[in-house]
Amino acid sequence: MNQEAKLDYLIDYLWKENPTAVKQLQQIEATTLAAKVELFRGLCNIRKPESVSKEFLQVQNLFLTDWNNKRLITSIEALKAVQPQLYLWQGDITSLSVDAIVNAANSEMLGCCEPNHQCIDNLIHTRAGVQLRLACYEIIKEQGRKEAVGKAKITKAYNLPSNYVIHTVGPFIDKRGVTPIKEQLLASSYTKVLALADKFELETIAFCCISTGEFNFPNQRAAEIAIREVKKYLTKTDSKLQVIFNVFKDEDLEIYQSLLTTKE
Amino acid sequence: MKKRANFLFIEKNDNIYTLSMTPELQDDIGTVGFVEYINDEMLSVDDAILDLEASKTVMELASPIAGKVIARNEAALTEPSLLNSAKIEENWLLKLTDVDEAKFTELEDA
Repeated sequence: MNQEAKLDYLIDYLWKENPTAVKQLQQIEATTLAAKVELFRGLCNIRKPESVSKEFLQVQNLFLTDWNNKRLITSIEALKAVQPQLYLWQGDITSLSVDAIVNAANSEMLGCCEPNHQCIDNLIHTRAGVQLRLACYEIIKEQGRKEAVGKAKITKAYNLPSNYVIHTVGPFIDKRGVTPIKEQLLASSYTKVLALADKFELETIAFCCISTGEFNFPNQRAAEIAIREVKKYLTKTDSKLQVIFNVFKDEDLEIYQSLLTTKE
Repeated sequence: MKKRANFLFIEKNDNIYTLSMTPELQDDIGTVGFVEYINDEMLSVDDAILDLEASKTVMELASPIAGKVIARNEAALTEPSLLNSAKIEENWLLKLTDVDEAKFTELEDA
């Protein structure tokens, strides 16, 4: 089966499973390969955390492995530390091959359900595969309530080049702006993720810019808190973790560059 | 004597220390719709004490001080919005004993 044939199979399976998906998707027909990828992604995004056939998983895993690894995959060896144990890298976090990447989740913790939404949660879940939502669902079911802000949960990364995904819910900033509580919750997201990474004896971890996207935390302040908390944690715990600050936007790259290269 | 830490008030009366909601915390989280206590009897500093779901966030609150839990605001379980009240009789969370008074004194005055 080539990539297109795999997609045709996957799309067909997802449609049969969810005939009313047509109401949630803008696009329902796809002829080109790119359009089929979009449709597949949208169908996965709205898929409920229900069990899935072994055959679907096999085909999906083959498709995703190929789709993910056709890109340039970056590992820590290719990066140069900007400060001891600290790295800065701009790009798509799902193309990193590290022990764990950090996902900016929401309190439902099931991954973004909006078809083809361009957020990191959506991207990570899409490229990891439908198993990731199922794993998150098990965690939330076991916990019996929504995921609190400023905590961390770990899952496998499934089809991503990394080994684990650590999910954290950052604070949401509404029109009243940043408050000391929100700042402390953002700091808590960073330290809880690091502590969990150390508990699992990981060596490399890549943070996205938690809370800055859909959650409106001001980029500069968020970066200051991120760097401060990571440094504080590494010093206090003597952790050997190698930490990558992964940025996507140029704006964040400039902010982190400036903060990480400034002498204290 | 009344102190504040972890966005909570800690008020001392005789040897009982009552934890309650601060207005900043109430403002930040919005209307509380769900409360679940973590039923540990002995608390260390920063131990989780309860999980709440409110209109603006889902949050775990942590104890600002070590001690032994002697009472919880059980009314908040059935009426979570009590935690949005301005009155301490309604918005309190826990009562503690066996608190190190020196540690309490070190906290920021409310």
